[in-house]
Formats: sequence, C-alpha cells, structure tokens
Amino acid sequence: MIHFISKRLKHSLILLFMASVVCFTLVVSAPGNVAVLIAELRGAVATPGYVEQVEEEIGLNKPLLMRYVDWLGDAVRGDFGISYRTGQDVSADLANRMLVTGTLIAGSAVIATLISLALGFLGAFWPYKLPDRVSRGLALLGASTPTFFVGALMIYAFSVTFQLLPSFGFAGPKSWILPWLTIAVLPAAVLSRVVRVGLEEAMTSPFVLTAKSKGLGRTAILFREALPNITPIFVNALGTQVGLMTATAIIVEPLFAWQGVGDYFLAGVRFRDFMVVQACLLIFLTFFIVVNLVVDLAVLMTDPRIRRQWS
Amino acid sequence: MHDQPLLDVSNLTVNLLTAKSAVCPVDGVSYSVRQGECLAIVGESGSGKTVMNFAPLGLMPTGVTTMLSGSVKLEGRELIGLPETEIQKLRGKSVGFIFQDPMSALNPVRRIGRQIAEMAELHLNLTPRAAEARALELVKLVGISDPAARLRQYPHELSGGLRQRIVIAIALAGEPKLLIADEPTTALDVTVQAQILRLLKDVQRRLNMAMVLITHDMGVVAGAADNIVVMYAARAAECGPVDKVLVSPRHPYTRGLINAIPRREDPIGSEFRGLPGIPPTLGAPIRGCALAPRCELAVPACGNSRPPLVRSDDSAVLVACPVVNQGKAAA
Repeated sequence: MIHFISKRLKHSLILLFMASVVCFTLVVSAPGNVAVLIAELRGAVATPGYVEQVEEEIGLNKPLLMRYVDWLGDAVRGDFGISYRTGQDVSADLANRMLVTGTLIAGSAVIATLISLALGFLGAFWPYKLPDRVSRGLALLGASTPTFFVGALMIYAFSVTFQLLPSFGFAGPKSWILPWLTIAVLPAAVLSRVVRVGLEEAMTSPFVLTAKSKGLGRTAILFREALPNITPIFVNALGTQVGLMTATAIIVEPLFAWQGVGDYFLAGVRFRDFMVVQACLLIFLTFFIVVNLVVDLAVLMTDPRIRRQWS
Repeated sequence: MHDQPLLDVSNLTVNLLTAKSAVCPVDGVSYSVRQGECLAIVGESGSGKTVMNFAPLGLMPTGVTTMLSGSVKLEGRELIGLPETEIQKLRGKSVGFIFQDPMSALNPVRRIGRQIAEMAELHLNLTPRAAEARALELVKLVGISDPAARLRQYPHELSGGLRQRIVIAIALAGEPKLLIADEPTTALDVTVQAQILRLLKDVQRRLNMAMVLITHDMGVVAGAADNIVVMYAARAAECGPVDKVLVSPRHPYTRGLINAIPRREDPIGSEFRGLPGIPPTLGAPIRGCALAPRCELAVPACGNSRPPLVRSDDSAVLVACPVVNQGKAAA
C-alpha cells in the first residue's frame, strides 16, 4: 500500500511538472500583450515606450526560460505571484476561491452519486419495465442537455417561478443547492448508466445463480452480491466525473456569481493574466491527480483481487 | 415415509420461450430419488439434463419464460404451479445446489466465510456469530485444511478444488434433504475430480441426503450413483439401477455412450468410437424416436411414433426402444 502510494506520488510529480511546462507554453504563445492591457487599465495611453516600461516592471522582458524558472521556483513554495490585473497576491485569492469551488464540487459529487445510484438501481430492479425506461430517458436527457442551459432552467424554475431558492451568491446551504444540482445533472446521468449496466452485467454472472440457489431474494442479491461487484467501476467513473466537474465549474460559477477558481480562471484568461491562469491550471491539475490517486486507492480497497497485487 | 420418494418427477415437460425462439429441452421425463439415494442423470450437452433439474426450482436465466407441465413433488409437495416466493424458500433450505464451474460460482469480492454463513443465517435462523461458527464447521466437514484462515479469504485466493469444496459447503449450509450437483467435477483437474466425487459421496451418505448427480462422465456414475437416467434429446432413453444399466446397456444410445469410453487396450492413434451423426435440434418437434437417424437398429417404424419407456426383460430397467424390447422378448 505504502509502495503503491509512493509510486503514484512520484508519477504525479512528473506529470505536474510536464503539465506546468505545457501550460506555460500555451499561455505565453497566446496572442495579445498583457502589458498593453495593463497600460490601458492604468488609464495611460499605451505608447510603445510606456508598454516597454510595464513589460520591464512585471518581468516580461526576461528570456522565456528565466520567466518559467522564476515562476516555478516561487510556485513550489506556494507563491503564485501577483495578479497582473488586480495587483493582488494570487495565492491569497486562490485560498478563498478554492473553498468556494471545493464546496461546489463536493456537494455535486454527493448529489450525483445519490441520484445515479437511485436511478441505476431503479432500472436494474425492473429491467426493461417502466421504471427502467424512465431512468434511461432521464439519463439521456441529463447527458444531452448543456450545463449552462440546465443552470438557466434551474434559475428560471426555482428562483423565478417558484421563488424557492436564491439565483446567485455564495451564502449558506440554501444558495448552494442550485449550483450543486446544475453541475450534478450530467455526471448523475452518465453514472446512472454505469450503475444500471454494471448491475445488469453482475446480475447475469454465474455467482448470482449461486446466490439464487441459496434462496436469496432479488433485493438481497442486488445489494449483497451485485453492488460490491460494481463498486470499483463506479468509483472509477465517479473519479473521472468529479475531475471533469472542474471544467463545468468554469461555466457554472459565473452563472451563479460564485467567486471560485473557475470564475477566477475565466477572468484570468480574458485579461491574459498569466499568473492567474497558470496558478488555476495547476490547481485543477493537482486536483485531478489527487482525485485519481484517491480513486485508485478506493478501488484497491473495494476489489480484493487488485488489493492482493499491491500488498 | 421412507417408501415415499423425496423427489418424484413424473412426465415433466419444460418449454422455454425466449424473445426469438421456443425450445422444448425436457419432454415428458419421469424419475424419482429416495432419501439416501444417488441418482445419476447422464446425457450429452443439450440433452436437457440441467434444465430438467433447475427449471422446476426456478433457477433459470432472466429473460427466458419457462413453462412447466407434469408433476414435480418434493417431499410430497407439488412444485409445479407453486409461486416463486414459495419456491425461493425451498432453495438452499430443502435443496442444495452444486455448480459446474467453481471458478465463477462464488462472488469474487466477498469473503468466503460470509458466503457460507449467510446461508446459515437465512435458513437456520442463526445469529451472525453462530452462523460464523457453523461456517467453520462446514469448512471442516468438506475437508479443508486451516479452516479459520480460509473463511477470511476471497475466492481468487483458492484453487479450483478448494473452491468446489466451498461451493459444497454452501450447498450443505442450509441442511438440505436433496443435493443437486450439476457436473460437479467437469471443470476440475482430473486429479481433483476423484477427491471431490469421494467427498460428495461421503457427505451424502453421512448426512443421509438424496442426491441428483448430473454428469456425462460414466466413471462418475459408476463410482457414485445408485440409479441412472440416460437422456437423449430431451427424453429419457433408459433408466434403472447403475449396476444393471452399465453392465448390460439395452438402449442403443446407452450402448453407444458406454462403447464410446476409450479403453486401455485401444491401440495408440485409433479413433474414438462416437455415434455417427449429430443430435437433433430441440426447436422442432420430433415425431418418432429421436435417435432413429443415428441408430444401427432402426427400422422404418421407428420414425412413426415416440417409443414409450417400458419395462425391459429385467423388470428394474426401463428402456424406450421397441426394437430392443421386442427382440429381447422374442429371444
């Protein structure tokens, strides 16, 4: 187990380094000059002389490699530099915003898990009957509706029409529900199919015939025999979906006026704010890698056949 | 009570309907097993021997509609027409099942101890702790060394022979009166087959259970069974005590089966003595004797009507072949 974790951590560090190089390259090769934007932001006329002055001020005149090494050196110490746009400390900004995005993703992950298990079980319990068709239809609908549209519908229904929930802001559980639901729809739809198909496959396994021959009922077989068998694939799929939630967060956070990492990232991209973009990307990547590590560990815990190879 | 058979099947017909096709894998078969007896059911793949035993107890794959007619009495109770909830109560409790492939018959992600103990909890109303103790007892009974450690293991950590012993322990956990073993040694190594068969025979005698042994291995039949039913194309061809049927087979199909067993004196490189031709498909109804196209004794009349299973010259043996029965009577 320790061996497994340390090996995976080593891989993760290499991956992070490579990812940071890619991010850096992409950001510096994007068109436009941030110095011009800063100059305009300060209300000055962006004369070539002034732009050059700004470039020198924020270190844009240094060679690329130097810029990268400088940035990396600070980043590993947790210092992501100063935002070009606001002049604020990026690390301090991120700390707050990570809490917001963390709340968003954690809640959505729980909701997506609950909904998908419920829908999947419904379908597996009455295969090809009405509940299964309803579950399948909902999954198709959920998987093919764009998230921004889901968000708009949620606001229209729950905030405008029924006036039950606030349409924006980050102020306590009541204001969290709509963003949670909005993000959870797509993963719940995808995962419900994973549950349904996994259960059906498990239910045709020979060991289910054994379970039936023991005199177990259908419910007992589904929960005791089939469920433990789909846990590894479910956890795997859930991990991927949670990782992808970072991408949906970029859409949903501005929609509900949440000041999270996704919103920060979007603002950074608009302003070519290299420091912010790079920091956000690194946070997203770290999150993705950590989620995957946790997933692998969870699979290790739930499948004795894999556990044995590593212990 | 002892005179009444534990399992009494008469004129059982099974029709299976799937979305695409309808087949009749069991066509009017009768047999019975008494307490303490072992009945072997022999026949080639697809002759209906498994379906015949599994279908009346509701062990059919989902998506298949099973239609049963005739009579299946377990301890005098008619199973045909019984609702699934009642049949579910009999499974594991009155009838224990042993399956062909122990590699896939156990749940891969659950501990062996739990898989045995849940039977005892369900059918003997034991507390989880008492059920664990019962599981330990059963694992000892089926001759597994280091039983306490085995209970904490997972199926993939055991060999095929050990897993089949676990499957047997599960089948025994509910203290059933009847054991249905579906080719229990087919998927095992040859060296392990004999051990498992000996174990089965031993527990069957010790617990005085009835056993239905489904197999196509004549060696297994000779070693374990008291009576035998030979199946061909959904019908019984011959049945009677093992010592009589194996020593002097009457039905041409039984003779063919026994003749097909390779012998030690066969020269190296000689071909197997199989029956010519292939068995009929079960989709279409068969008018006459199903074996007629492959039978060396066939006369034109064989294709006209289905031969009834009647007493042969030996009153203990029933044979479904008019040619054989007439010939013997005339001689």
